[in-house]
Amino acid sequence: MSGFSNAMSVLSSGMRSQSQRLGHISENVANADTPGYRRKTVEFRAEYDAGQRTGAVETGPVRLDRSDLQRLHDPAHPMADEEGYYFSSNVDLVTELADAREAQRTYEANLKMFEQVRRMSSAVMDILKR
Amino acid sequence: MTEIPSLLRLASDAAKHAAARQTVIATNVANADTPGYRARDMAPFQPASTEMPLNRTHPGHLAGTSRSARVFQESGTPADPNGNTVSLQDQVLLGVEATRAHNRAVTIYKSSLDMLRASIGRN
Repeated sequence: MSGFSNAMSVLSSGMRSQSQRLGHISENVANADTPGYRRKTVEFRAEYDAGQRTGAVETGPVRLDRSDLQRLHDPAHPMADEEGYYFSSNVDLVTELADAREAQRTYEANLKMFEQVRRMSSAVMDILKR
Repeated sequence: MTEIPSLLRLASDAAKHAAARQTVIATNVANADTPGYRARDMAPFQPASTEMPLNRTHPGHLAGTSRSARVFQESGTPADPNGNTVSLQDQVLLGVEATRAHNRAVTIYKSSLDMLRASIGRN
């Protein structure tokens, strides 16, 4: 039985990490037009407990994308320089959408496995109920 | 009469193997986006040999490991650019396989238990 609760905690760590990733993606999309905003990325890594791999996954520190900011021409913008250019964010909406779709897909796979494990453990419980 | 307890043991071993395999697959799915993670799997279930079990002189000694309990890294699967070899479709399929194996084992356990109950006159 401890195998099932272990599997469930591993799967919930997967769902937690994916939803955190989705949270950063939505921040990026919301700030796509914020001048000077750099897109946030989050890295996944294996979780260790006392030097032993637990099998669970956790998110690493949030990093900022170091790529160049978009330089847009808009002389009416309050932050525009003498030539009429200002620096917007470096968020690419297509990349964010693809990333969001991938996070959603992995989240759903975790949820599906969770459901399977739950059904297996309730099958074992059914033997006790009789 | 001695068949039914050994049948129960066999069914529970099979169920334990399916549950352990499901845990391995769950770990793969959770790490589907971890850079450098390599997918793992377990050997198919093999009933423990009853003819020549490994004798132990002390309960604290290690029992021989059965071949089917071994976890190995899948090889030959194509990797993502970040070194991850988990394919979600394959893992969900393997999960269904493990669930079916577990259901089969639990059903065998239940019906053996029913037979045992019937043989001692209870329902």
